[in-house]
Amino acid sequence: MSYIEVNNLKKNFIVKKKHEKGKILREKEIVNALKEVSFSVDKGELVGYIGPNGAGKSTTVKILSGILTPDGGEVTVGGIVPWKERKRHVKNIGVVFGQRSQLWWDVPIIDSYSLLRDIYRIPQGDYESRLKELTSALLLEELMRTPLRLLSLGQRMRAELCGSLLHRPQLLFLDEPTIGLDAVSKLALRDFLKWENDEYGTTIMLTTHDMEDIEALCSRVMVLGHGKKLFDGKLQDLLERYDTVRNVKIKYDQTATNLRLPEGVNCNQTEDGIELSYNPAELPTSKLLALLQEAGNISELTLQPQNTDHMIAAMYKELDL
Amino acid sequence: MPYFTVFKMRLRMELQYRGAMIGGIVCQMFFGLILVALYRALYAGKPQSIPIESVATYVWLQQAFFRMMLASDSELVDKIKSGDIAYDMCRPVDMYGFYYARIMAQKLMGSLMRAVPMLIVAFLLPKGWGISLPASFLELISAIPALLLGLLCVCALENITVAFTMKTLDPRGIQGLLNLLMMTLSGNLFPLTLFPESWQKVITFLPYAQLLDAPIRFYTGEYLPNEAFRIYGIQAFWVVILIALGVYMWNANKKRMVVQGG
Repeated sequence: MSYIEVNNLKKNFIVKKKHEKGKILREKEIVNALKEVSFSVDKGELVGYIGPNGAGKSTTVKILSGILTPDGGEVTVGGIVPWKERKRHVKNIGVVFGQRSQLWWDVPIIDSYSLLRDIYRIPQGDYESRLKELTSALLLEELMRTPLRLLSLGQRMRAELCGSLLHRPQLLFLDEPTIGLDAVSKLALRDFLKWENDEYGTTIMLTTHDMEDIEALCSRVMVLGHGKKLFDGKLQDLLERYDTVRNVKIKYDQTATNLRLPEGVNCNQTEDGIELSYNPAELPTSKLLALLQEAGNISELTLQPQNTDHMIAAMYKELDL
Repeated sequence: MPYFTVFKMRLRMELQYRGAMIGGIVCQMFFGLILVALYRALYAGKPQSIPIESVATYVWLQQAFFRMMLASDSELVDKIKSGDIAYDMCRPVDMYGFYYARIMAQKLMGSLMRAVPMLIVAFLLPKGWGISLPASFLELISAIPALLLGLLCVCALENITVAFTMKTLDPRGIQGLLNLLMMTLSGNLFPLTLFPESWQKVITFLPYAQLLDAPIRFYTGEYLPNEAFRIYGIQAFWVVILIALGVYMWNANKKRMVVQGG
């Protein structure tokens, strides 16, 4: 049995509709946030969990972390049913909700950490060595005596992450951890997560909209949409499936004389040269390059792979998400 | 002990709000003076069976411990509204106990910080305006357990309000209603000792009278030390009932809990 087992997970929410004219009672609507989602995750895996807004990602994370009770299906994490044995379960997990805060607003962050030490009953020696390790990896040493309210967003996110990892959780949930961070903070955060995963074999489940996070960190990705799991596998496989448009920019010494391109290739003449877009599944790149070379002397050529965000957008569109 | 640590943290936080403390003291001093002046004016027309010194003492003690009664932890309410409470739910602690400790720290520290300077000033005021000494040393001693039981009671009440907030997501409605009950039935607005005898029999049994009215009555000698265990019994009864109700509400909430957004 895998570390995380999820079978036919279901969760409904009751949403009260807006007040309609002439009616005293509001109508209720049942939204199926999750309809029979199943997956399993092994120890030490780093899994990306993606999907458009409202797909049910956060709902899954909340159920796995014992906050929400599902309406159907089975979940075990390390053999424990999260919502049934909440206290026993949460000892082993760490959670970072990118848009929320767990540290105390008005007190220095070190005090929030001591509270966490007592909450998780971490032995003092262990706490000190772990804190030292985390603060140096997350560049927090200078900030320990600063109240949370004085920290910038990036500093705060690093502080939050440190707080979530003090008790050495075996499983870490990250819900949009890089939201609103600058490039340097993002890179530092990613490096750190990789290190934590390598060093301690911490299982990490990451939900994000930032495809670079996924590319940098996750070997495996799950796509959720309309409360269903739509894809589960390697990121590379997912991208190949939706890698349908590539762009080429080309410049000739003189005007190309007999550039004949097959149908399905879009050609756009600009002042800078020619811009082409084609589908590598229909026309292999090598063939296209041969055609281009026949047409004249090439002075400049750039091949651009499709942007990951565009591919994901194409996928969402195709799957009608 | 995580419950003790959260208690300590909240104490420290309360100490940071010295500006709020000074503002609170000035406000409560003002209210105390106005109320005493009002009762003195009423007494000038028609004296009551309770001496005016005792009424003034009652008013000052109520004002000094105002923070224990009517103050909610806005950060706690914000947590519920914003959903940051999700973090507290992923901790290996009992949620009710965790919040109970937090509320108690705020109420204890908040009221002590205000009560000490206010009572010193109130002792300096002329007789009949300020606070009088306790009826006897024994009365003062018997007031202290009553005050502690009152604190346990008020924290349980506050935790019920928090549980309600988790249902409605906005504390104002239920807080407004419960605060009104608190103001009138706890003796904050109008000393319970001035209510007609028959009313008092009912009111003194209600939970709100256990908070401050019971310890004040010991202080002023309304309750005699030999009645102490009967009064403590009533207080303890309410502590148990209110905590049980709060725990029940928290558990019910956990089942139907929805953390919105994000």
